[in-house]
Amino acid sequence: MSDETKSSIPPTSDTEPSVSRSTVPVWIIVLTLVLLFLGMVYFDHHSGWFDSQVYGPYASSEELELYQPKSGAAALLARGKAHYDQVCGLCHGIDGLGKPGQAPPLAGSEWVNTKGFERLTHIPLAGVSGQLSVKGQTWGLAMPAMGAAMSDEDLAAVLTYIRSSWGNKDGPVTADEVKAARSALGAHPLPMSGNQMSKMPE
Amino acid sequence: MSTNAKFGGASVPASRLVSSLAPPGEISSTDIDRSCCIPLLALFGGAALWLVVGSVLALIASIKFHAPDFLANCACLTYGRLQPVADDALLYGFCLPAGLGVALWLLARLSGTPLRGAIVPIVAANLWHLGVFVGLAGILIGDSSGFAWLEFPRGGSVPIFFAYLLLALWSIMIFAGRRGRTLYPSQWFLVAALFWFPWIYSSANLFLLTSPVRGVAQAVIGWWFANNLLVVWTGLVGLGAAFYFLPKITGRPLQSHYLALFAFWTFILFATWCGIPPGAPVPAWMPTLSAVAAAWLLVPWLAVFLVVWQTVHGSVRSSWNNTTFCFVGSGIDAFLLSGLMLMAMACPQISRFTNFTWFGSAETQLRLYGFFAMTMFGAVYYILPRAVGLEFPFPKLARVHFWLSLAGIALLVVPLAIGGIVQGWKLQHPDIVAFADTTKAMLPFLRVSTTGLLLMLLGNLLFFANVMGLTLRWKIALLKQFIAFVKSPLETTSASASLRRDKEVRA
Repeated sequence: MSDETKSSIPPTSDTEPSVSRSTVPVWIIVLTLVLLFLGMVYFDHHSGWFDSQVYGPYASSEELELYQPKSGAAALLARGKAHYDQVCGLCHGIDGLGKPGQAPPLAGSEWVNTKGFERLTHIPLAGVSGQLSVKGQTWGLAMPAMGAAMSDEDLAAVLTYIRSSWGNKDGPVTADEVKAARSALGAHPLPMSGNQMSKMPE
Repeated sequence: MSTNAKFGGASVPASRLVSSLAPPGEISSTDIDRSCCIPLLALFGGAALWLVVGSVLALIASIKFHAPDFLANCACLTYGRLQPVADDALLYGFCLPAGLGVALWLLARLSGTPLRGAIVPIVAANLWHLGVFVGLAGILIGDSSGFAWLEFPRGGSVPIFFAYLLLALWSIMIFAGRRGRTLYPSQWFLVAALFWFPWIYSSANLFLLTSPVRGVAQAVIGWWFANNLLVVWTGLVGLGAAFYFLPKITGRPLQSHYLALFAFWTFILFATWCGIPPGAPVPAWMPTLSAVAAAWLLVPWLAVFLVVWQTVHGSVRSSWNNTTFCFVGSGIDAFLLSGLMLMAMACPQISRFTNFTWFGSAETQLRLYGFFAMTMFGAVYYILPRAVGLEFPFPKLARVHFWLSLAGIALLVVPLAIGGIVQGWKLQHPDIVAFADTTKAMLPFLRVSTTGLLLMLLGNLLFFANVMGLTLRWKIALLKQFIAFVKSPLETTSASASLRRDKEVRA
């Protein structure tokens, strides 16, 4: 309260602050636009597009559909597709068109589109070796018994799947029928040759 | 002997000099300051009281972590009631009335208009503090609404809502009667804040308590409200005050008008969407939108940083002896730091570790106390002596308050943030660490944070002592004036008579 303090009062103490009129740096505007764009891309990928059914961690209704439990024929097909994509699709392709020089196509193949399925069931259980003609083209094959390790139910689902996908329209295969084929082949079946297969009943 | 210079210098003779030199027709800043005197004493005095109450209760609540038996026999003093009361006493008891007082004074100063009809803000300030009292007591007796930051029962929420409306209306009226055409950036922030709270508080009360919405929408509204109050409202008022005091005390112009405007718009545009944590059990677009908005907060963050940096750059050392500058400057640092923590928590990859841990509490405390309360302390230390026209009784203690608060908030926030990350990592590995061990591992961090709360309480007590001491001085001065007024016609005779009587007594 004394006089000595007055000298230490800063001169600006009771004038209102001033403000400069320099412009906003351009880079912050550019950064804003970049962040807005990236944010929108992120939102596009993770938001499920305002779908009230899609909760995190799922990002879209398609992704959610993938994990939905199915029943009946749809469940069998979904199970077949899951195993096919994982085991068979590596060579035969997930589109069933095969790979040149490696594995013949399954789509439209005369070995798949058959009335019965005893022969077809034997292929994944025993494997194939040697010459085989598929859709008019001869293949030299060495297919291991890829299905031998699958359970009867899984293999039945895979066979049902390949017989009803990519334009194939044949009846389902049941687990009991796979089981019957497996016991008919015995413990350590040898790969079949083309000749052997064409002599087999369908 | 006085340390006026610490607060930028408010001494009665100097300000009288200014008022006498002011050109006719122009209202002097002293007149504007004095017009706000009683409303500010009412707002800040009550705020100081709730601040102390809140920090005592927060300390008791924190002690319960390492001494669960402490005061455990009384239902009122159980953790579940104490913690919300402590939080609400800090937010509704201190932060909001202090912010409203600072906004009132800043708008009056920047508009060049004195406050008229001061009785309304005085009544409103008392109504506010009454509402806070009823609300806090309501929570203590178990009448909490159960929504975080909205716990007040109706007996508390209705008075504070109307008190806010009155205070905001009077501030807006001052703003409407402003003398200059161009606005100073602080005015945008403060006026926006004045409108923000009635909107969010009425919406949240309507949709959560009056006619509650169903299901997860309640949680969404709760998050929206808490974020808009704790981040947007405090941000607007705190930045408004900081953009006023930093250039004022450093004596440099604010850098710049347009950058501050850019910060203002991007802040209210992006910050208002935040608050819904990643992994919240609501449709995915909501937390995704919140996360994106939090990432966009980087833009106003950078803008605020640039404004502050370019304004105070080079004059920090020379301004450091000013206590207001210390408080506001460290408040801005805490704002930037808590902004980084907010952005980190909104990132899904980081949120996996920080969600449901102490990290969130650390962020909230840093924002509410480290940023907002510190900025308000600086502002109150600057404003109140000018408004009252008297110096604080213990001006040197303001400096001690600053260091105690700074050390306290650091000891509270740093251990909780680190502890939160440790806790989150352990919770993510339940195969290695048992849940009980995770909880036990938090004890050292909580002990340090209790020490921090103790230091903050000591600092708050000093603030309380200064504000209450100033109020007492003001009352004594009023009383003296009154006595002088009563005695004045008889002054000469009575003085000589009493002098004679004294001599007789001595003889």
